[in-house]
Amino acid sequence: MGSYIVRRLLYGVLTFFGITLAVFILVHSVPGDPISFYISQHMTHLSQPALDAIRHEHHLDEPFIAQYLYWLRDAVFLNFGNSILDHRRVTDRILEKLPHTIELNAIAFLLAAAIGVPIGLWSAARSGRPVERASAVLFFLLYSLPSFWVALLLMEFFSVKLGILPLFGMTSDDYFELSNAQKLLDHARHLVLPVVTLAYAQMAIFARFSKSALTEVIRQDYITTARAKGVAPQRVLWRHAFRNALIPLITLLGLTIPYLISGSIIVEDIFQWDGIGRLYFTSILSRDYPTVLGLTVATAVITLISGLLADVLYAFADPRIRFEAAR
Amino acid sequence: MMWRRFRRSKLALIALFYVGVVVLIAICAPLLTSDPNNVDLASRLRPPDRTHRLGTDDLGRDVLARVIHGARVSLSVGFAATAISLIIGSFLGALAGYYGGAADWFVSRVIEVVLCFPFLLLVLAIVALFGPSFLTVMIALGLTSWTTEARFMRGEFLRIREMEFAQAARASGARDARIIFRHLLPNAIAPVLVSASFGVAAAILTESALSFLGLGVPPPTPTWGNILSTAQQHIDYAWWLALFPGVAIFLTVAAFNIIGDRVRDALDPRSE
Repeated sequence: MGSYIVRRLLYGVLTFFGITLAVFILVHSVPGDPISFYISQHMTHLSQPALDAIRHEHHLDEPFIAQYLYWLRDAVFLNFGNSILDHRRVTDRILEKLPHTIELNAIAFLLAAAIGVPIGLWSAARSGRPVERASAVLFFLLYSLPSFWVALLLMEFFSVKLGILPLFGMTSDDYFELSNAQKLLDHARHLVLPVVTLAYAQMAIFARFSKSALTEVIRQDYITTARAKGVAPQRVLWRHAFRNALIPLITLLGLTIPYLISGSIIVEDIFQWDGIGRLYFTSILSRDYPTVLGLTVATAVITLISGLLADVLYAFADPRIRFEAAR
Repeated sequence: MMWRRFRRSKLALIALFYVGVVVLIAICAPLLTSDPNNVDLASRLRPPDRTHRLGTDDLGRDVLARVIHGARVSLSVGFAATAISLIIGSFLGALAGYYGGAADWFVSRVIEVVLCFPFLLLVLAIVALFGPSFLTVMIALGLTSWTTEARFMRGEFLRIREMEFAQAARASGARDARIIFRHLLPNAIAPVLVSASFGVAAAILTESALSFLGLGVPPPTPTWGNILSTAQQHIDYAWWLALFPGVAIFLTVAAFNIIGDRVRDALDPRSE
């Protein structure tokens, strides 16, 4: 068990270096160095020696490998330099927006799990019947809906036509004049549409995943054994099958995080939610490279850590993984 | 045998038929409609009527013509991006599965790194850094989505590389390249094609999201995504702009997903 975790962690460290190298190569394969782009926008009057001095200061006159190591030295401590836009530290800017994104995604994640998992288990228990087949198609249809389109339709219907929910933003204009209870309600009203947009597709994924997990368990020999020795069908499901079907759901924790971050970019852009997804998109548009780089590495590291966490939890929950790893 | 099992699903046949029709429409688009970029400021933001069956956009362009021409971008990006990821994924997966050892270790580590990046983030970064165009969108999607294909191909190669026909080829002195491409690849491709069908669906979805965000194939080329981003600006009024391109994306993505799902079922000997 211990050696399994250690090995998994070592691979994690290796993956971290892979992530930083990939991002660095990506940025450096763009024609022209970042300084020349930056200068052409802001300081057209600079002389050649002054340009060279700036290049030297940022190590841009050194070999590729040296540049990578300089950057890596800072990246290890999650220091990505300052934003080109407001010259504040990239790390501060990310930490400032992160809670908004976590709030939105945590609610959507819990909602999707609370609805999706029971539906998935329920439809797997009815394997082969029309209900199960219809639900499988329904999951697929939900999964195929473009989230930005769903967002537009929701806005069209609930905000424009019915006028019962706000179009976008995190709070109303008069937020600071409201009482505390009203503030809470106002914020909750702003949460509804973005949360629904994030949650519906995840719900379909949770349902499909838990359904196939339970279907897989039902095929196992020990279920046949339980049935053969005369355990009541309901008891086979509850005692023998459900508990084992829940274990693979742990991997979803690691798998959905990158998916959530991707979804946040679209949803936060449409609903003008002030989180890291929107920060990433505006940084891309304004070519704020330090922020783009920082966020790319930061989100990849978040994914990496949640994946590691899921693997370790899985090893705790399923002894077979431990034995296999120990061999 | 596979086709017989696939055919049993009515839904899959409908999906296949639908994809066929959309492909035909995309190919024949210039014959079917007027110029999608024909600006007519006198009739801007008109709801659907006789002359403009699906209404007009903010520049008075015919939405039906733009939706039909949008199919060209969506389908060609979808197929091209999937072809790129098939080639990269199959190649790396085959190497990892066939040689095992260090090759397998290395490819697995690369896959781990790629999977750590949130998909859309990486695609957006590549497209923004190299400038949005048909080519960059296609390449960005292909470069970021090959991991599924690689894992399937690796698994298949691990399964079949020690089978008798592979050993026979090796015993008769065939070179590695010949064994991989002539003997093993044709026997390993079927499950990979399933993931390719899902891949086309995902690529179409992502392309439309990029267009919607303004970083897809640049205007005035009509795409389903950029009609929807016009719709967002006129959300309080022009419902037809939001409805029709969205339906087009949804049906096409759903069709590819359903085909992939049913082919997978048909290939899986356990499903009955």
